[in-house]
Amino acid sequence: MKLVDALRNKKEQILSRWIDRTLDSYLEPGFFKKSKDKFANPVGVNIREGLTKLYEMLLASAGQDQYAEPLDQVIRIRAVQEFTPAQAVSPILELKWVVKQVLSADKDTRPLLAELDSFDCDVDRAALAAFDIYMNCREQLHKARIFELKSGNFILSDSGCPSALIRKNSQDKSRIH
Amino acid sequence: MADVVKADKLARSVVEGPTLMTGAIPRKSWMDIPVVFKPGNYCYPTNPATQGYLDRQPGVSFPNVREWNPEDEDWKLQENWKEIIINGLAERLDKFRSLKIFMDCCVRCGACADKCHFFLGTGDPKNMPVLRAELLRSVYRQHFTLAGKLLGKMAGGREMTTAIIKEWFMYAYQCTECRRCSVFCPYGIDTAEITMMLRELLHLVGVGINWALGPVTNSNRTGNHMGLTPQAFKGNIDFLCEDLESLTGIKITPSFNRKGAEVLFITPSADVFAEPAIFTCMGYLLLFEAIGLDYTWSTYASEGGNFGLFTSNEMMKKLNGKMYAEAKRLGVKWILGGECGHMWRVVHQYMDTMNGPADFLEVPKSPVTGTVFDNASSTKMVHISEFTADLIYHGKLNLDKSRNSHVIATFHDSCNPARAMGLLEEPRYVLDHVVDNWFEMPESTIREKTYCCGSGTALNTSEIMELRMRGGLPRANAVKYVHDRHDVNTLACVCAIDRATLTVLMDYWVPGVKVCGVSELVGNALVMEGEKRQELDEGLRTMV
Ligand code: SF4
Ligand code: SF4
Repeated sequence: MKLVDALRNKKEQILSRWIDRTLDSYLEPGFFKKSKDKFANPVGVNIREGLTKLYEMLLASAGQDQYAEPLDQVIRIRAVQEFTPAQAVSPILELKWVVKQVLSADKDTRPLLAELDSFDCDVDRAALAAFDIYMNCREQLHKARIFELKSGNFILSDSGCPSALIRKNSQDKSRIH
Repeated sequence: MADVVKADKLARSVVEGPTLMTGAIPRKSWMDIPVVFKPGNYCYPTNPATQGYLDRQPGVSFPNVREWNPEDEDWKLQENWKEIIINGLAERLDKFRSLKIFMDCCVRCGACADKCHFFLGTGDPKNMPVLRAELLRSVYRQHFTLAGKLLGKMAGGREMTTAIIKEWFMYAYQCTECRRCSVFCPYGIDTAEITMMLRELLHLVGVGINWALGPVTNSNRTGNHMGLTPQAFKGNIDFLCEDLESLTGIKITPSFNRKGAEVLFITPSADVFAEPAIFTCMGYLLLFEAIGLDYTWSTYASEGGNFGLFTSNEMMKKLNGKMYAEAKRLGVKWILGGECGHMWRVVHQYMDTMNGPADFLEVPKSPVTGTVFDNASSTKMVHISEFTADLIYHGKLNLDKSRNSHVIATFHDSCNPARAMGLLEEPRYVLDHVVDNWFEMPESTIREKTYCCGSGTALNTSEIMELRMRGGLPRANAVKYVHDRHDVNTLACVCAIDRATLTVLMDYWVPGVKVCGVSELVGNALVMEGEKRQELDEGLRTMV
């Protein structure tokens, strides 16, 4: 059996294990795993879709630039959840581990483990792209903060009483004179 | 290629370990998982100067003024904090029958569990509405029910500890009081009201957030969240009028604090001050000019929003009272309210018992169409969307939809107008008449079931940006769907907090979608007598 055929045959098994492990990183993953309704369960469904698309691209040896879309679907979510950067992108690297587990569990596919180098490489590239996306997302969050400060909403909490400000200004002046 | 493989083998030692993730997350009972505060997961506590000022105001109380930090072990609570909390709870159980019922009648059916946007964005069980309520219910059981007194933990009771205070602070400020969960509860348990109680109890021991008490303080002082002085408030509106003149050739000179006007107009101060809300304000100004409405602005009741709702009953009452006091002082007949979210919740659900009935006002009647707004016969306050829809229905507005040809819209039902006052059809009716292209989001995400923006109830502060983004994911996810499908580029809504927070939410999740008020689209489409309109490719937002 060729490696790519094995990865295709075992797609369901690999994906379901990979997705489950990824969703297990949430405190209460039951609903995320179960609900297939895109609008009721955006985290679960987007992660499932993103990882599935990514897996298909890896099998089709798609170019690295194509990874961006499915990766974004997964990483954009994890970038705003309570994960460290490593935890946020680690699901991508975990695919290597899952594939090895699944292939080694079957004696027909066990010999293929030695041929995984190039596949592993592709996964690493996807993981590196995931880091880029993660950083982009984080930068966007910081920009959003600055945008809010600039748009004047900070006045909500930081402005003092106008009359107190006048008093303070006049005190400052009297100190100078 | 060979080189890359070598590098890859280096990584393999890591990959072959059992898991790269956090390891399986320990799944303890929710009661036993303590909260951990770290930058980004909590709102800044109230500035002592702000809290001290509020505590000195008559009729309200915000004790235990001090510097404190949620990340510190010691929150510097009063020595008798426990007694204060238990007495506070006893008092509230007595005062609010709903609270007592909500504490007793949950059957833990779980129907609400997966309906909260914060649970959906975090996967944290304590963000399930049923468990959020349980944070308080367990203490109630322990101290106020016989089973709890006798059996304690076995009956689901918990002794009050500082760890529970911390947990309350964490999760009362991860609830936007949006009430989506209550729509699905067979008993109508309103977790929003439980959150309100949690926040009140926390204020008794001096635990609150600056982003709620800051605006409350500003409103108490100058009449609006922004702390705008009367001069600045008027100046900003004059400035918008100048812009309108250069865009449309129409000169508008609104009046302020004018006694004897027929109508007092009140809107969130953000409409007067912050982008993109100012374009909504321009829409109001044009509309009132088009129909020759006899109305006045007030520089005292210069805020529709009421962060008292997110703070305490007394504070809400005080801030709400100002609108009615001002209506009385000016001698208007009724009040017209702008596109605000929670102002309508306060007016529709609480105002009557707090400061009403407003007998000194008249039942609102549109001077243009003669329609009597019986639905507002007690509060005497009409929503701008109702008012506009009525004008359109009677053919009183000359509207040209092609002036919104740059817009492909969808409509976000803001939680409070949708769920707290049932304002579902009017904004849609208006949209039908001012834009050619608009599309609904999926049915499970609109109307009564609408998803919150994720930043309501004073959570619209930047230090918790990540939390806001994850809480807003279910909303954004549905917007993305219509954006991908129909090229939707505009998210219309009728709430000032939404206009600010959805803008940031869209930038993160669905870039290319702008946020606007429904009245902005009305302003875009209005054909005015005597206008000398420029080419406005982007409506009132066009830079000229
Ligand atoms: S009121 Fe809204 S935010 Fe609060 S628990 Fe219910 S669904 Fe969640
Ligand atoms: S839906 Fe109502 S009764 Fe059921 S668990 Fe939630 S709060 Fe309790």
